[in-house]
Amino acid sequence: MTLWSLGLVRGLVGQVVGFVTGMLLVMAARLALGMDPVWSQEPALVGGIVLGAISFLIGVGALSDWFKWMRGIPTPLHHGPPPGQPSWTRYFSVDYNHKVIGIQYGVTSLIVLGIGGLFAVIFRTELARSGFQFLDPASYNTYFSMHGWAALASILIGIGAMANYLVPLMLGAEDMAFPRLNAFAFWVNVPGITTLLLSLNYGWDGGWTVYPPLSIIGPVGFQFTFYAIFFIGLSSILGSVNLIATILLMRPPGMSLFRMPIFCWAVLATSIIQLTATQLIGQAFLMLSFQRLLGMGFFDPAKGGTPILFQHLFWFYSHPAVYVFVLPGLGIISELLPVFSRKPLFGYRWVALSSIAIALVGFLVWGHHMFTSGYVEYLRVPFMVSTLFVAIPTGVKFFSWLGTMWGGKLTFPTPMLFVLGAISVFLIGGLSGPILATTATDLFLHDTYFVVGHFHATIFGGFIFPFFAAIYFWYPKITGRMYDETLGKVHFWLMTPAFWVMSIGQMSVGVMGMRRRIADYDPALGVEFGHVLITIAAFTIAFSVLLMIYNLLTSAEVGRVAGDNPWRSRSPE
Amino acid sequence: MPKSATDTRHFIIAGVLVAISTVVMDILLKALLPMPVQGSAQAQIIDQLAGWHLTLIAFLFSLVIVIMLYSLFVFRKRDGDESEGVHFEGNTTLEIAWTVIPLIVVFVFAFFGIRALTSITKAAPNEVVVNVTGFQWAWSFEYPGTGIVSPELVLPVDQLARMDMTARDVIHSFWIPEMRVKQDLVPGMTTTIRFTPVIAGEYNLSCAELCGRSHYSMIAPVRIVDQAEYEQWLADQSARVAPAPAAEAAPAVAQTDESAQSAAQTN
Repeated sequence: MTLWSLGLVRGLVGQVVGFVTGMLLVMAARLALGMDPVWSQEPALVGGIVLGAISFLIGVGALSDWFKWMRGIPTPLHHGPPPGQPSWTRYFSVDYNHKVIGIQYGVTSLIVLGIGGLFAVIFRTELARSGFQFLDPASYNTYFSMHGWAALASILIGIGAMANYLVPLMLGAEDMAFPRLNAFAFWVNVPGITTLLLSLNYGWDGGWTVYPPLSIIGPVGFQFTFYAIFFIGLSSILGSVNLIATILLMRPPGMSLFRMPIFCWAVLATSIIQLTATQLIGQAFLMLSFQRLLGMGFFDPAKGGTPILFQHLFWFYSHPAVYVFVLPGLGIISELLPVFSRKPLFGYRWVALSSIAIALVGFLVWGHHMFTSGYVEYLRVPFMVSTLFVAIPTGVKFFSWLGTMWGGKLTFPTPMLFVLGAISVFLIGGLSGPILATTATDLFLHDTYFVVGHFHATIFGGFIFPFFAAIYFWYPKITGRMYDETLGKVHFWLMTPAFWVMSIGQMSVGVMGMRRRIADYDPALGVEFGHVLITIAAFTIAFSVLLMIYNLLTSAEVGRVAGDNPWRSRSPE
Repeated sequence: MPKSATDTRHFIIAGVLVAISTVVMDILLKALLPMPVQGSAQAQIIDQLAGWHLTLIAFLFSLVIVIMLYSLFVFRKRDGDESEGVHFEGNTTLEIAWTVIPLIVVFVFAFFGIRALTSITKAAPNEVVVNVTGFQWAWSFEYPGTGIVSPELVLPVDQLARMDMTARDVIHSFWIPEMRVKQDLVPGMTTTIRFTPVIAGEYNLSCAELCGRSHYSMIAPVRIVDQAEYEQWLADQSARVAPAPAAEAAPAVAQTDESAQSAAQTN
């Protein structure tokens, strides 16, 4: 085995070669057009980004089978590790098995989550005291912007992990409907991540929302972000096509939609959003890139554009995207709660349809992010009412979970603890929603730390906690061994109270007048103590996640061998 | 402890605990989320609405958490008990109830939400109008018809003030926490915000929309003064503008602003 046989290595080399070639092509084009100077940083870099990503995909081998088809070479689906290679190499190369792809997604997600978390801890430390300690405002802005997109990328990839690994197993399908597309959808994330990380070299200070004109006049790091998210968004779209096809067409005879495991309903709802809404953000980010690069004035008032148009396009994806982030996690809660309550899920049909309802209503609420934006004033009313409606299907889920636990025989191993933690945290996130949805109160709370507290609670409760529950729950399925239960419980008991402190602390300083995204604050606001607490809580969470990683890595070798069904679950996987 | 999961005693105990918890949580929440001084008439309306929201949150939080904790203690698996829980797939009446009742609550809150929004955005004939310009990373306030351009915002107490606002470079947002309301300033258009200051004093106006490197320090002083002092201030400022012909004074200010902007763009 040589290093070159690993697809990842070939892909990264390909990306570097493609990047340089792309820059040279742009320079050649400028030379041909007689433009002076031939070297211009931004066009050259964009050429490099695009060709680099394509070259990565060619290098890693994600396109090989399609090339073979064009040359008329047959490509039978290969099962098992590549011939003559140790089996671990599968995970570093293109592989069509959905379980391998699920693990690839999962490990990538945890790595990117670590990167996103690292940025958070860095700027969180800076915020513990007013005044500037070790960051200057420009790098502070870059770090929190990077935190935003790195964390969201890790969530999207983590959802890919759960869906790809679990859905075919739960349906009893042999694999996903389109295995090659599945591999492509995973691998396109990798150049997305490397491109995002490269943006650090140039900096960008727009936050994850990258509103123009700020993102137009800002540094060239923005271009890296636009394309990084475009690639990761492409993965979302292709992955969701595959999941919808698998769920609708590959169920075994006799498994009607209303007999599927509840998690599949959540994935179906999520995939509908991903398939239809992701186009909008891809388009919007390309428009930003073209405005910078080619002077197209989409969002420039001087050229007949308007900055507010971008906000509409952005939130038309990014609000439903929040439901993309949380619906699979809520599906995990609905899946695991019955296992540890020794009772079936209460109101299965209602829970299933509430996911679809949340997905559909989610398309009608994007304007609640724009109450202060300056769009036509009467729009605030319908967007307020439509947003409040989201409370109803969400309430159905909560009450059904309570109904599931009531009268059960509850046990509390680590996955169940994380499910309960998820409910408590998502409750904080959910209940802090209506006060933001109500325009009058939002005019006060908008762009304060209250919002930061609200969505971190929503995302942790809706994704991070259930994701960790799923990792612990299916760990024996994946590795054949049990994780260390004591370490798992320590992880939970460190992370959950720390998270409560963090999100309630954020809401508290927000109400006291702490604005979002500020590198420094006025100690006269009286929020410094709150920031110290939040920072301590953030470090505690970071430490507890490291404990989990340690647990997962060591238990794969030394954990006790798990039986076929360690959780006495009824689910078919 | 009653054995059956549908025993009425379970529901009575849980109901009492929910009621107690609601009261405690309501007090706790309002202590954890201390609002700034109510500096405007709009703040009173907004805070009242926020108070209702917090009470509702206290109730719903208690409802879910208390029932969850109750289940965790009462319905936990006993040692040696390997049997299944009661097989209970759902209850359509309950599902309809917890769909319809929240729907009604949503409508009630939407009604009061809309009413509050209408009253805090209401115009009045005798508004004090100020033209506000935001740019990286400062504010400028022009008092139309007087020639006054000031780096601080001075407003009379107890009178509805209207800001007609625009931004020169990127989006900014007008926010004085004590006045509660907030509005973005967008390049290429004019946006409006209204509030009635009710307590004289000094406040800070800060930019609430990320606007680049020094977003954190885009803060301007605000002084709310009584009517007499306001008129005195206007007179003083006009006197300062008047000696030089107005045509000269205005471009001078504009120029400084432009140089600030070009400095901003080179950053």
